Amino acid sequence: MSDDQTPPGEGARPGLGRRTLLLGAASASAVVSIRPALANTAASVSMCEIPVPDPGRAGSYIASNGDLVPAGTRGAYPAARRPFQAADVKRTLNTGVNLPGTTSDQSRAYTNYIRRLQSGTSGFTCFASLQMPRG
Amino acid sequence: MVPLDELTAVYHRTSGQTHLVAAPVPEILAALEGAPATLDVLLARLAERYDLADPDPEALAARLAELETLGLVQRR
Repeated sequence: MSDDQTPPGEGARPGLGRRTLLLGAASASAVVSIRPALANTAASVSMCEIPVPDPGRAGSYIASNGDLVPAGTRGAYPAARRPFQAADVKRTLNTGVNLPGTTSDQSRAYTNYIRRLQSGTSGFTCFASLQMPRG
Repeated sequence: MVPLDELTAVYHRTSGQTHLVAAPVPEILAALEGAPATLDVLLARLAERYDLADPDPEALAARLAELETLGLVQRR
């Protein structure tokens, strides 16, 4: 019995039993995206804050690429004195204006940290909300 | 990535979004997993694993551009 459902990368042999794959020269990828259920009222977004870094890592410094590094690491910046307001982060992301109270290099490091926030880290929900279209 | 019959669910941690995708998206993502590649290398990987009905670099580039827009792949 021939098997034309050979899993990719598992015993697949050229010309024998490999699954056909269409890259789709004539069409776009079929993708349906489901956004997380986040608070999306204008008031909620404007009132949320993003700490840099997460309070649990307040002792770490932020490298220019947004990585958290040990305190005192050369070229890295200490934690922001206070969380950034969502509106300020949004403005910085959209226009490149420095985050309040920061130099351009510091703002860039903080912004890179924010861009790399993941679910479970303080500020992630606020940051994700900034990227949701309104209405 | 979680297979769901004809579709695959892909959870993107950075955005918190879940994408339901169809071929060739999960295959492309799997071919790139842990091993960044140029367009030609990626095409060769896919050709090695699958019978490509349309082994067109431009088609693959178009798919990658879409995935980049979604944030599922990153150009280096």
